Order: sequence, then structure tokens, then C-alpha cells
Amino acid sequence: MTATPRKLFLAFIVVLLAIGAVLPGYVSPYHTRVVMGFFMFAGLASAWNILGGFSGYWSFGHAAFFGMGAFGAAKISTALGAAAGSPAAMILPVAGATLIVAVFAALIAYPILRLRGIFFAIAMLGVSQVVTELVNNVSWIGGGVGVFMPSPVPAGTRPEVFYYYIFGALLLLIILVTYAIRRSKIGYGLLAIREDEDTAKMLGVPTEHYKIASFVLSGVLVGILGAVYGYSLGYMSTGSVLRLDIGLNMIVFCIIGGIGTIWGPVLGTAIMLFITQVLLSGFLDIHLMITGGIVVLMILLMPSGVLGFFNAKRWIRFRERAR
Amino acid sequence: MSDMSNLETDGVYIATDGLSYDYNGVTAVSKVGITVAKGQIVALIGANGAGKSTTVKMIAGALKPRTGRVLFGGRDITGMPAHKVVQQGIALVPESRLVFRHLTVLENLQIAGHLPRSRDRMKDSYDHVFQLFPRLYERRAQHAGSLSGGEQQMLAIARGLMTLPDVLILDEPSLGLSPLFVGEIFKMIRKLNQEGMTILLVEQNVHHTLAIADRAYVLEKGRVVRSDTGRAMLADDAVKKAYLGMD
Repeated sequence: MTATPRKLFLAFIVVLLAIGAVLPGYVSPYHTRVVMGFFMFAGLASAWNILGGFSGYWSFGHAAFFGMGAFGAAKISTALGAAAGSPAAMILPVAGATLIVAVFAALIAYPILRLRGIFFAIAMLGVSQVVTELVNNVSWIGGGVGVFMPSPVPAGTRPEVFYYYIFGALLLLIILVTYAIRRSKIGYGLLAIREDEDTAKMLGVPTEHYKIASFVLSGVLVGILGAVYGYSLGYMSTGSVLRLDIGLNMIVFCIIGGIGTIWGPVLGTAIMLFITQVLLSGFLDIHLMITGGIVVLMILLMPSGVLGFFNAKRWIRFRERAR
Repeated sequence: MSDMSNLETDGVYIATDGLSYDYNGVTAVSKVGITVAKGQIVALIGANGAGKSTTVKMIAGALKPRTGRVLFGGRDITGMPAHKVVQQGIALVPESRLVFRHLTVLENLQIAGHLPRSRDRMKDSYDHVFQLFPRLYERRAQHAGSLSGGEQQMLAIARGLMTLPDVLILDEPSLGLSPLFVGEIFKMIRKLNQEGMTILLVEQNVHHTLAIADRAYVLEKGRVVRSDTGRAMLADDAVKKAYLGMD
């Protein structure tokens, strides 16, 4: 009885999962690609949210992790000389790229997380610019002329369907990670840091460790998505992955949906992509202008996002009852 | 002789020795030595800027002393970072409350209850603080920012208690509260003490404070200028004149 709202919610998720599992068989390749893009961006926004939403450290440079994941995977797969057509050939390059991103994030975490607020945001923007320049100009990396990645898609499978399922699985994984963190003592510690870092420390929260952990985790998840995205492109140059708009979209989607919540980033991505790619697909010439207008309106009308708008109190009571 | 000194260190929770601090060269605290014995209420009183908050922040690890030592139960904890000092058993309830405004009352308590020293007894801690502050239980699902000033102060104290401290440091708990709440807060402090909690109390409300303090230190311009029992100080003409506005 008392668990009814939670059961309803779980049933809703199960139905969504079932629809998601069979969807590519029923819709056009274009719409499969649209949903695939949703999976990826929802994953990016959720990963960004682990740092920006929970701990309040807004990174404007997460595109650096995305590009680093993509180019790391490209370099490793070239070095291994893997054959095309085998999904297993993705494993080592993606794992290697993940490790590269993890080491990089861990190295810059301590100094950069000593900055707070707008200074941290700007420093991360600087990091992404430095990474972009390096990828573009160091000929060994090859971002300037572009790099090829062997397609891992098995013969007979449509590429958009293949990547649809990979990004879908990654999104699920990231949501589960977010959920686990939000419910853990690290999650509460991160929220305390967002609210008041000095007071959090006084209450025994090891703020340095938690900040570094969430920074590295958030970057690594974005890096994995970048690596898979690189594969899905087949050929990429610097501008394909180290794009300012990717780093900004993660933030915008979180704000629209409800920053610091579990489902806000997913909801925000769904809303924005639906508006821009489905509703406005016939107005390509002015769609960015309309998108900008929508973002401004939403922030003015719902400063705490769609989820926040629908009454934070009701959610808390809902959760209380569900317990 | 040695028996005597052993007894003394056994009963002493916090002892500071020659504690000093300066903000960019301006001395805030100079050679402060105080002791807090188990089961006592010890008060630090004095005017604004006398160095009371700075002193307790050094004890709690929020500030690193320039010179001097902080001993807790005989161990040297000077310069230990704040999150480790809490783990040792000292909880500081900071000035002007500083509750996590966008989190619920329950979440505020939960964060403090997650310490290694306290997490196994979190259920009991909830029972304890909700029994002390029934009003917090009524408001447990509300955002802390929506509570009244007095309720926020209760929450800040409850949050400190969730860490299961041996010593609770309260920095100006009556600041900005209505007279009704001030009385309630002091009643609660006394009740906690009767349950066995050792309390170091920083206050400007000298009259209420001296009435419940076992021992009090008067700080002036960063130095301890007097120390005595609370009762003796209440009767003292100089203290009356300086802090109670009586002639």
C-alpha cells in the first residue's frame, strides 16, 4: 500500500525500458538516430550532474574529457590495428581511453578544485581550450587532419541500431551510478559541499576526497561516451568532438530538467532534443534562435528546472511515503 | 603527587596552551589557555571581536593556530583538519547557524550522522535529537531554509549531536533569536549537560550564560583577562559593569 507511488514509478521505468528495447525495429533510421542522440546527451548531462549538480562545481570544460575519450580510443585502436566488423575490438581502446581520462582528471583535480564558483568554471573552460589546441596542433594526435576509426559494427547490423543499444546501455549505467551516489554517504557529502563547503568539513565530510572522486568519476563517464561517439563517427577531426556546444549542452539540459536531481538531466535532455530535433526540424534556419529563446524563457519561469517546478515538497513527501 | 596530576588529565577533555592567531598580521587571539573538564559547561564570554570564535575555530580545526597547542583527552590535535577533529569527538556548531538551506531537515541530520564514529548508531541519534526537539520531527521533510531562526538553531545543534560528540562547542547559539527562543535554547543546553554532555559555550548573552556555566573565561582583545566559576562571576562587580550593564 505505502509503496504504491514507487511501484508505479518502477512500472513506468520497466515499460520505458521495454519500449526502448524494441523501438529501432519500428521507427525510421532517422528517428533511431534521434533517440540514440538522446541517450548520449542524457548520459553526458547525467555525468556532468554528478559533479556540477551534486557538489555545485560547475564545469564549463567537460568537452575536454569527451574529446580526450574519443581521440584516446582512436589512437589506441590505430596502434592495435584492430580489424573492422568486430564489437569486441572496441573493448581495449575504450578501456584505454577511460584510463587516460581518469589519470588526466586525477592529475588536474587537486589544484583545480581548490578554486571555487566562477573561478573553477573558467579554469575548466581553459582546460578544454588547452586540450582542444593540443589535439588540433600536435600532429601525433592528428586532430587537425582528422583520424579514422575502424567500424566495429558487425556485418548485417545497421550502424545506428548498433550504437543505439550501446548508448542506451551506457545511459542506464550512468543513471544507476548517479542513483547509487545520490543515496550514499558520498552523495550526501557532495550535497553538503554544494550548500556550504566549510560547514560540511566541520561535520566530518572529507570534502577534498569527495570532490576529487566526483570530478574523476564525472569526467570518466563523459570520456567513455566520447570514445563510443568517436567510433560512431568513423572519421573525426578536432571540431567533431571538442566542441564548445557539447560542453554547454550538458549544463543547459541539467538546468532545464532540474539540476542536482537524478532524473532532471534525462528529462531536460528529452525536452530540449524533442523541441530542437523533432518540432523544429522543419525550421533549420531559425531553430537555434528559437532554442535560445526557449532556454531563456525556461530559466526565467522555472529557475529550478521542470522537476523543481513541480513542487520539491511533494517529491519529498512522495519519497517519505515510499520508504 | 603524580596521582593528583593523573586525575586531573583524566578528567580534562580539552586543554589549550598558548594558542595564538592573527588575521593578516592583526592579532586576534594571543596565548589563550583554557581547559574544559568532562561533564562541565565552560563559557567563553567577551565583546565582539574579542577572539572567542577564533579560539573555538582553532580547537575544531577550522583555523590553524599560529602558535600554541590543542590537547583533546591528552592527545595533541593541533592543526588537525576539521573533518578529522569531528571524528575525534569534538563538534562545533558554527555561528549564525549555517544549516544546509536547500536540503531537508532529515538530510541535514543524515550528513552529520554518516561519520565512522556515529553511523552505527544513527537510528538512536535520530530518536535522541527528535526527542530533544520534537519540532524538528514535525518539520523533518521541509527544507531547512524554510524554518524559523530558532528552528534553524535547533537543527544546527541537532546536526552537531548527530556526530555523537564528547564535547559540543556552541558558537553564539542565542544570536538573533527572539527572547522566548533564547530561554528555550539555554534550557536545552542545560538539559544536554545534565544528560552528560560536555559543553564549551561561546556567548554574548552573559547573564544567561554565567547562570549555567561551571566555569567561565573572559576574553578581551584576544587575551584571557579573567577566569572563575560562573556563579562567582555573576556576583562580580567588574563583570556586572562591563557585560551586564548594571552598576
